[in-house]
Amino acid sequence: MFRTKSGEEIFIIDGHLHNWDASPENVLNKYGQGFIDCFYAYHANLSPPEYVWDEATYAKYGADRMVKDVFGDGYVDMGIFQPTYLTDFYKNGFNTTEQNSELKNRHPDRFILNGAWDPRDGTKGLEYFESLVDNYGIKGVKLYTAEWKGESKGYKLTDPEAVRYLEKCVELGVTNIHVHKGPTIWPLNSDAFDVTDIDETATLFTDLTFIIEHCGLPRFDDFCWIAQQESNVWGGLAVVMPFIHTRPRYFAEVMANLLYWVGEDKLTFGSDYALWHPKWLVEKFIDFELPEDIKQEFGVDLTMEVKKKILGLNAAELYGIDIEAQKKKLENDGLALAA
Amino acid sequence: MPLPLKNKEVLKVDMANARDEVHQQLAEVYDPELDQPLTELGFIGGVDIAGDKVTVRFRLPTYWCAANFAYMMSSDIRERVSELPWVKQVDVLLQDHFHDEEINEGIKHGKTFLTAFPDATDSLDDLRETFRVKAFQARQERVLRWLIRKGIQEEAILRMRVGELEQLLKKRQVAKLVKRYLNIRQERGLPGDIGAEAFSHHDGTPIDPGGLQLLLNKASSTRLSMEFNTAFCSGLLKTRYGEDKQGLQNSALQKDKTKESTGVIDA
Repeated sequence: MFRTKSGEEIFIIDGHLHNWDASPENVLNKYGQGFIDCFYAYHANLSPPEYVWDEATYAKYGADRMVKDVFGDGYVDMGIFQPTYLTDFYKNGFNTTEQNSELKNRHPDRFILNGAWDPRDGTKGLEYFESLVDNYGIKGVKLYTAEWKGESKGYKLTDPEAVRYLEKCVELGVTNIHVHKGPTIWPLNSDAFDVTDIDETATLFTDLTFIIEHCGLPRFDDFCWIAQQESNVWGGLAVVMPFIHTRPRYFAEVMANLLYWVGEDKLTFGSDYALWHPKWLVEKFIDFELPEDIKQEFGVDLTMEVKKKILGLNAAELYGIDIEAQKKKLENDGLALAA
Repeated sequence: MPLPLKNKEVLKVDMANARDEVHQQLAEVYDPELDQPLTELGFIGGVDIAGDKVTVRFRLPTYWCAANFAYMMSSDIRERVSELPWVKQVDVLLQDHFHDEEINEGIKHGKTFLTAFPDATDSLDDLRETFRVKAFQARQERVLRWLIRKGIQEEAILRMRVGELEQLLKKRQVAKLVKRYLNIRQERGLPGDIGAEAFSHHDGTPIDPGGLQLLLNKASSTRLSMEFNTAFCSGLLKTRYGEDKQGLQNSALQKDKTKESTGVIDA
């Protein structure tokens, strides 16, 4: 819970959390090492210096540290686990639903547990997905279209197999489809960060909500255009957020574009922990104001009401969280720092 | 065996000039996605010249940068440097990349992207065109915003001619933006005579009266995407390779570039 200077309480849902293991024991090959090195560069490059960790800690920080950082220091009331399997890179996976469920069991009111599927796993994968729904009651999945799997270097949501899985999502009531759009390298010949498959898929599956994590960066312009046309396409602000510190002017312009094209009701906050620490992101975001000229040009404003939606209300809407009831449940679990 | 680049007379190579000439050629190679020269982005890790043989070390902000863009840039480096009359052989060495071996081999043997990566199904031409259109929109938008900030009304802007734009080349604060815009107009084969309309869509169709704001709003997210990515990539490259002054990374150029990117907005 964040309390403003005037005493107002702001309920915060961090829409994008990981508890990964990239320790040397778990790294399978040079790609696994390359992956965590790249993550570390993101972290070191965009965090304020006092929040930069050493590489060993970053590779594996563990559950206790995560709980303290996120719910203790980081003002976060609830967080959404977005699993990233990467089993071709890491022996036990980078962070899987099963691994995340341990922390979910320890703090059931703090975490929203999402699952994952991969259309290239065929019928067996569909069964696995059903078992996740049965065992954990998941309401959302995180899809990583750039993930390597044997010879394949990724997939598109418009692939027939993916459509089959999306139909299963409708059937099982798993309605929140978080799609990571990142360094896809397949198919090699098309734009590697292409977000256009979202357009067609969102039109086809109007019962599902597609939350595009990282707002399509680096295809921000294409994403804005699609999200404006499709009411069920949302933007997840993970990776966008940290620019508030290093490049506040760009951040302001990006937010103005998002408010203009996507709208204040379809954006969710995410730290992408442990890429970035939620504490400084939340503090800076609450204090942030759009410069006057940007407000004028786009006719939008980042008011406290808008910030509250982005920081928690919108995600609560997606996951059916009753915030007042939730506050009561969390009051006495002892995880939050005394205000 | 590497393919011979072309038949050339043996020329005497002046080493002092050679380095400058290679640098000038490299300054013409752009990251297609960011629309910035590789030399300003710090992507050139170093250049070695041995007689008529030039080796260019090329590096990217992450291990995972897209292979197709990397291939385009490697191929452009080779092409540009080989334009120098005294150069007989160009080796481009992409470093620390998940596909560096395949890309370096492909470029060395003059393969197309499709031959180097048999799994791919299309050439890179469409992708390149998509990003040249984005570059056109972003460059045009920067000039348009400068004019608007100077208080020029939409109607007057849409009536402007190429000749009037050329006059702006004399104005220091906007000369670079205008030059870059005029260059891409020329590259795309848009009319360059002084009486031609200065602003249009990328294919030359005129902008509808009253349509300027929508055009700007769309171009804004494109330009922003590029600038945002440039900031991101520069930062990641710095984190990866440090602030070294190795090779052709030039801090003065870097500063100048930052100024240009934000100058339009902050002016």
